[in-house]
Amino acid sequence: MNQALPIEGYLVVGALMFAIGAWGALIRRNAVVVFMCIELMINGVVLTLVAFGDYLPQAGGVGASYAVLVIAIAAAEVAVGLAIVLAVFRSRRTVNVDEANLMKW
Amino acid sequence: MIVAFGFLASMSLGCALGVVLSRNVIHSALFMSGSFLGIAGFFVMLNAPALAAFQVLIYVGAVTVVILFGIMFTQRPSVSSFRTIIQRQHMPGLVVAAGLAVFLSYIVSVQEWGGQTEPGQGPQETATFGENLLGVGGPEIFGLLFQVSAVLLMVSIVAAVVISRRKTDEGG
Repeated sequence: MNQALPIEGYLVVGALMFAIGAWGALIRRNAVVVFMCIELMINGVVLTLVAFGDYLPQAGGVGASYAVLVIAIAAAEVAVGLAIVLAVFRSRRTVNVDEANLMKW
Repeated sequence: MIVAFGFLASMSLGCALGVVLSRNVIHSALFMSGSFLGIAGFFVMLNAPALAAFQVLIYVGAVTVVILFGIMFTQRPSVSSFRTIIQRQHMPGLVVAAGLAVFLSYIVSVQEWGGQTEPGQGPQETATFGENLLGVGGPEIFGLLFQVSAVLLMVSIVAAVVISRRKTDEGG
């Protein structure tokens, strides 16, 4: 009941989270929801990093430090991305990623 | 341990599915914060409680609030059925995502992780974690990465302000 879990459990959860986020980023139309799904993908990767840092002796215990950097950059990405969504909404009155096709050849 | 793992896995993955399949955008944002809370619980199980605190503060607090602001500014009242929220190519998307899930799960399952893979190899104390992050105790590259990420955060916030600023005639 209290024995340690194998590392594959955490890695599979991280992989499934990445896949769910990729699915949402591919099929949803709302640009804000696409951002949320990208955040889910980033969280799956961060979970994998922290699991490596805790389980593998070769990792040197720095997985959590990498995770902090990833979280900071993801926060920056959310700020810039939502600013772009706001700018697109202000000029085109939509956040549908299918309709924002001005730069499509 | 197994009970906590099952609870957190079902919470984070179920809320992630809720983000993708919810027809209301506000519900998607709330499901997203639930999923982040599940990931924070995983961080506690993986001996990184300081990182779990960061996760709760930054993701569950800040990112969710920023995304809710974005939803408030951009949503028009609209009908919400699956026909309107999902792209026409949803079946290829499902195939790609299922293939990605099976592929990644298979790879991480069959890979033989070298050495003895036991939990608790990471830094147990928050002080060690902080020294690693500042490049004092651990690899020194982290000192550079820390400062680069600080500069990147400032530049991106300025960029966000510039992009989303309401343009007036005389650049005010």
